[in-house]
Amino acid sequence: MRVIGVILLLVGCLMGQSNIQTQTLANGMKVIVQEDHAIPNVAMYFFFKVGSRNEHPGATGVSHFFEHMMFNGAKKYGPKEFDRNMEKNGGSNNAYTSNDVTVYTDWFPSSALELMFDMEADRIGDLAFDPKMIASERGVVYSERRSSVDNSNFGLLRELAEASAFEAHPYHWPVLGWPSDIESWTMEDLKSHWSMGYAPNNCVMVIVGDVNFDNVMALSRKFLEPIPRREPPPPVRTKEPEQLGERRVTLDKPAQLPIQLVLYHIPDSRDPDTPVLDVISNILSNGQSSRLYKRLVDSQMAISANGGFGEALDPTVFTFSIQPRTGIDPAQTEKALFEELSKLQGEPVSEAELSKAKNQMLANMYRRLKTIQGRANLLGTYEVFYGGYARAFDEDKRVDAVTAADIQRVARKYFGAKNRTVATLVPEKPEVKP
Amino acid sequence: MRLLLALGMCGLLAAQVKLPPYTREVLPNGTVLYFMHRGGIPLVRFLVVVKGGSEADPAGRSGLAAITAELLRRGTAQYSAAQFSEEVDGLGGTLFANASEQATTVSAEFLSKDFDRGLALVSQAILHPSFPEDEVRKTVARRVDSLKSAKDNPGAAIRSFYDTFFFGANHPYGRVPDEASYDHIQRAQIVESHQRLFVGKNLIVIVAGDFDPAAAKASVVKTFGSVPAGEAFSYLAAAAVPRPSAPRVLLIDKPDATQTYFVIAQPGVRRSTPDRVPLILVNTLFGGRFTSMINDALRVNSGLTYGASSSVQMGRLDGAITINSYTKTDTTEKAIDMALDVLKSFGEKGMTAEQLASVKAYVKGEYPTATVQTADQIAGVLSEMELYGLGRDEVDEYFARIDAVTLEQVNAVARKYFRADDLTFVLLGNAAKIRDVARKYGTVTEKLARLPGWAPVTSQ
Repeated sequence: MRVIGVILLLVGCLMGQSNIQTQTLANGMKVIVQEDHAIPNVAMYFFFKVGSRNEHPGATGVSHFFEHMMFNGAKKYGPKEFDRNMEKNGGSNNAYTSNDVTVYTDWFPSSALELMFDMEADRIGDLAFDPKMIASERGVVYSERRSSVDNSNFGLLRELAEASAFEAHPYHWPVLGWPSDIESWTMEDLKSHWSMGYAPNNCVMVIVGDVNFDNVMALSRKFLEPIPRREPPPPVRTKEPEQLGERRVTLDKPAQLPIQLVLYHIPDSRDPDTPVLDVISNILSNGQSSRLYKRLVDSQMAISANGGFGEALDPTVFTFSIQPRTGIDPAQTEKALFEELSKLQGEPVSEAELSKAKNQMLANMYRRLKTIQGRANLLGTYEVFYGGYARAFDEDKRVDAVTAADIQRVARKYFGAKNRTVATLVPEKPEVKP
Repeated sequence: MRLLLALGMCGLLAAQVKLPPYTREVLPNGTVLYFMHRGGIPLVRFLVVVKGGSEADPAGRSGLAAITAELLRRGTAQYSAAQFSEEVDGLGGTLFANASEQATTVSAEFLSKDFDRGLALVSQAILHPSFPEDEVRKTVARRVDSLKSAKDNPGAAIRSFYDTFFFGANHPYGRVPDEASYDHIQRAQIVESHQRLFVGKNLIVIVAGDFDPAAAKASVVKTFGSVPAGEAFSYLAAAAVPRPSAPRVLLIDKPDATQTYFVIAQPGVRRSTPDRVPLILVNTLFGGRFTSMINDALRVNSGLTYGASSSVQMGRLDGAITINSYTKTDTTEKAIDMALDVLKSFGEKGMTAEQLASVKAYVKGEYPTATVQTADQIAGVLSEMELYGLGRDEVDEYFARIDAVTLEQVNAVARKYFRADDLTFVLLGNAAKIRDVARKYGTVTEKLARLPGWAPVTSQ
């Protein structure tokens, strides 16, 4: 009953299908629109189905680099003009790159809609490849890498852990790219990446906010439809072979506290086990009543302990992240984690615990609907990763169907010793005493 | 060209966003209640603000307000810590509490259907915490360890080093909790400060989102109406922000760092400054957006950094204006020099009419999405209005105030606040490689990052 009420709410008030309209342009770009006139602003998101999984050794990080280059000038709007025009018309933007996608996020007053179409079409269709801008942007990307990897213990350990868990599949390399590749990718690499990744038929555009669907479609036909269809990225052929034994890696680094990451291979987002894994992630680490919080944080063994996974087009990993307390050997926190996972495999979760996780997930779904930005991201993510934006409407139904037996089955299937990679940052003691 | 001009005009004439209807009333015990109903998403937000915050921390016990906030849900009259968390999580709810400079804030969210159970939990945490001794001990110990974790993370740690050095121990913003201050915190002080501060005259209770207005009001009045009125927290009237007579540098040594993080600071303003709107425009142009002068120079033109920005602190007391960035170790000097050049040139030349038009459109364009879109955001706006004694005109007249700002005003404000003399520099990086560079900017004080405390002299 709860579930039906929820779906009616979702459909009727928030994400109503009657309220969402879609159309695919002649060049293959899919357009998804939700009109919402509560504030005079618009969220315009472009999901390009290209990410680090579409790269090759020698040019790793090129998708992320491209995310930067898209702001560095095109045919009509030269270097700096995209941001300058956007900001002087009240807009702002960001972008993100993952293993699977590159997403451009624009927020602006509805008065700037036509300008945004003009500028987006310009850079999607006619990006400039100015060697001077490329050189300067390499420096920016290096700086980003230095902050989020080289000078971040967590970032550095995560890079090592993922490179160890994935030996064959492109999830092996970091989204930011290996340092030597950042130094050496060529103009050819950039051009061929753009040609496949930024094909309009490889893109979903989502617009949520103070717009009119017919107007959006007229502007789409005027600005975006003339961009010719091209060959999208070829399928990623390499599949990660089954892991046949536990892998252990360590990182020695000056630090005051260790960090521990434990990764287990799990399937891609469309797999029917995904909602079960989602429930498991909530049971283990959502809130102060979660199993890992109680076992590791409340018991004074760790500062933090979390477990979860992100959307993925290919089989991915469920990552646990633990920071042990001073004087606690990572072997102890690791043992506690493994015991919690065995418990999940051996004993069915109670009805109360299961319903707690489902309530948390339901409330979190509502939270994602609060803003025009949140909804644009949700619709695009479901469209790209789950096989259609409409799948968001009955996500709660899939979650509600998860049983205690499903949880045991899935925990046994994936949380086995042979399937895991344990990465530990071991603090190096400073050589000179202060 | 014509297209842009037309759009520019639209930007200029952007319609004012207004606060939605809400109610405000004061209970006999002094508690201020706000209700802002908005249907749609079936969630309700309880935002409870208690005046005081870290400003109320006694000398030598920085962190008392923060620890008190964290412990509110770790055991109450009715629930053990574990039971309380089972209740909140079981409802799919959230309940976070933290202390800012001027207030402790408890922010909780529940499904609308769980309004009464949610309110009961909020009330337990705020009015009836029991502060069990073992929870106090665990929280303090975990916080001390978290300081170590923070110091492993230079991007996060520089902020605490900077606050301590720039404001000094005589300004509340300079009293950052450290190992020593946590060590002095006892349960008795937590209980005492809760009894003294969590009283009617210090409470602001905001309910926002989807709820039944009549029923909600009755239960909220019942819950908070019986709280003792107590004594209103008396805030400091003022605290002087030191303006050094000569430039000074704090160099934090993290020998394994491959880049230098830096803050360049000078005295700024408080939230109630009459210069607020022009200063927001000035800061936006200088370092508050992607195309800002400082980001354009350090990132876009030169590739020295992933990000450079400036910010103007607007708290209850006078704060600081800062430039923040980072760059690889061997371009430390180049990046800091460039930041100073941009600062000097801005103070001298100010901005153009075209730049002013652009920042006005930007600030207005961003405002609805960033500030008044969700029930949570509106609850935040209402709490700020109440805490700082502002009216709804802060929102309703905001665009008109932005439109009214003249070029002369912004340039006077730029000259007044964005100065290039007697600055405070905080550099965190590999000291062996940047020590000589640091000396160039002023008198250098050094500290090893991994040692306890944030202040250069740990006994301070």
